Amino acid sequence: MVAGATARIRAEHARLSELDSHCGDGDHGAAMLRAVERLEKVFAGTIPPEFKTCFEHAGWNVMEADGGASTALLGSFFLGMAEPLAAKAQSLDCRELAASFEAGLQAVRQQTKAKAGDKTMMDALAPAIEAFAQAAQAGREIAAALAAAAAAAKAGAEATREMTAAFGRARFLREKTRGYQDPGATSVALIFDGFHRGLVGQEGEFHHA
Amino acid sequence: MKMKKFINRPEDVVKELLEGFTLAHPDKVRLVGSNLVARAKPKEAGKVGIMTLGGSGHEPGLSGFVGEGMLDVSVAGEIFAAPGAPRCLEAIKLADRGAGVLFVVLNHAGDVLSANITMGMAHKEGLNVKMVLTHEDISGGPNPEDRRGLVGFLPVYKVAGAAAERGMPLDACAKIAERMERNMRTLAVAASTATHPATGQPIFDLGDDEMEIGMGQHGEAGTGRMKLKSADETAALMLSMLLDDLKVKSGEELLVIVNGAGATTLMELFVVFRRVHQLLQEKGIRPVRAKVGEFITTQEQGGFQLLIARMDSELTDLWDAPSNAPYFVVR
Repeated sequence: MVAGATARIRAEHARLSELDSHCGDGDHGAAMLRAVERLEKVFAGTIPPEFKTCFEHAGWNVMEADGGASTALLGSFFLGMAEPLAAKAQSLDCRELAASFEAGLQAVRQQTKAKAGDKTMMDALAPAIEAFAQAAQAGREIAAALAAAAAAAKAGAEATREMTAAFGRARFLREKTRGYQDPGATSVALIFDGFHRGLVGQEGEFHHA
Repeated sequence: MKMKKFINRPEDVVKELLEGFTLAHPDKVRLVGSNLVARAKPKEAGKVGIMTLGGSGHEPGLSGFVGEGMLDVSVAGEIFAAPGAPRCLEAIKLADRGAGVLFVVLNHAGDVLSANITMGMAHKEGLNVKMVLTHEDISGGPNPEDRRGLVGFLPVYKVAGAAAERGMPLDACAKIAERMERNMRTLAVAASTATHPATGQPIFDLGDDEMEIGMGQHGEAGTGRMKLKSADETAALMLSMLLDDLKVKSGEELLVIVNGAGATTLMELFVVFRRVHQLLQEKGIRPVRAKVGEFITTQEQGGFQLLIARMDSELTDLWDAPSNAPYFVVR
């Protein structure tokens, strides 16, 4: 899954920076690339089999990528994901993963007041988690739930095009940000798409890589 | 226009600039772990540590102010991007000499996020840390949350650093930093853009004959784009906005800082300062302390920041205290 997310960010990082140049300083793609490369390193090495530790490592490493608000929030997301998990759990079913995602979203919400419609990564993250939770509730498998989450994130990111930035550095540009998709939301959509692509072909359980 | 910068690989700039900085001042600063700049000789045990974080590309800010009398540790992030919380936590531990740590944070989204996450982690670990946020840029509007932290970090580091050096406890150091913070205001003007060292792209567009008042440290748009004015007109316009906002009365004592953004020459900064000084005197306001130079830059951005701060006898005394920070030496 992580490999999938890394591949998507790597493929699109130039476009992310280009998007960021309209509303920010044009380095979002580079920051996200640093973040996923660090993730990739964590997951390529000998990783602990427990998901809790794994997500903690992921959160810590993404924060270390020094990408300003984007990586701080994404790192918080992974750290938050670790919270509800039992220390020894080595497998997750769809509902457990949904609860973990929701805790991740909560952790992000503790750090930012950005809400739906503010043209931030929240516009992709919140719908993705919600779609995943609904699929889990309906008894779907992880792959199907991730497909739903990826689609919701993509739609959420695309909707930011018509929004006016109300958060972060971009808010100083206000109306000038209209017409451009938010780079943070776009990254979240790519990551969920990568999670889904990375998982396709694997059955049942949620795997690390 | 093609970027003309003497750098090697863009991804190595931060590491290389910090190596150069610490090699140039080995008696004062050293590089610790991953991009932490600390004093060469740690402060005596039992005194409060002062620590900060911020993106790189703004040299000499912020690591240039690590030294006796000012900062203990500065956490340098990537170009224009805040460092992550794990390294800030490491820096707090490094700065802690047993009397707690004052964490000075400039109000920018990424910095505040990392700082808040760091504070959460620090409290979990039982560390004694207080955070002070600087937000003195009046172009953000009346809401303090919308005001960015610009060159105002300088007086805050200075007075808090001096208080810590005198052995004042953490609460007292924080109160002094907060008093300094409440009594200062900054306004920036931009005349030309900078190029981002990693992307090679200009960070904003500004017409050849334009300037913009209220431009942030990263080229965030301000509110007042206008035809380029003379030094005197610009100084008068900005000063009157600052005096109004701080509600300065005749007879009060001010610290004035004119901070060059990178491409504006010292010549120009002095011309501006001279006019600010004249105008203050005409109003019966006393510019008792001043600094003119480059303290926080944005590459080769043209423009400057003008800061005024209301001083009292204690703040002035702490401002005058010794410092050996490489970019702020007071004997």
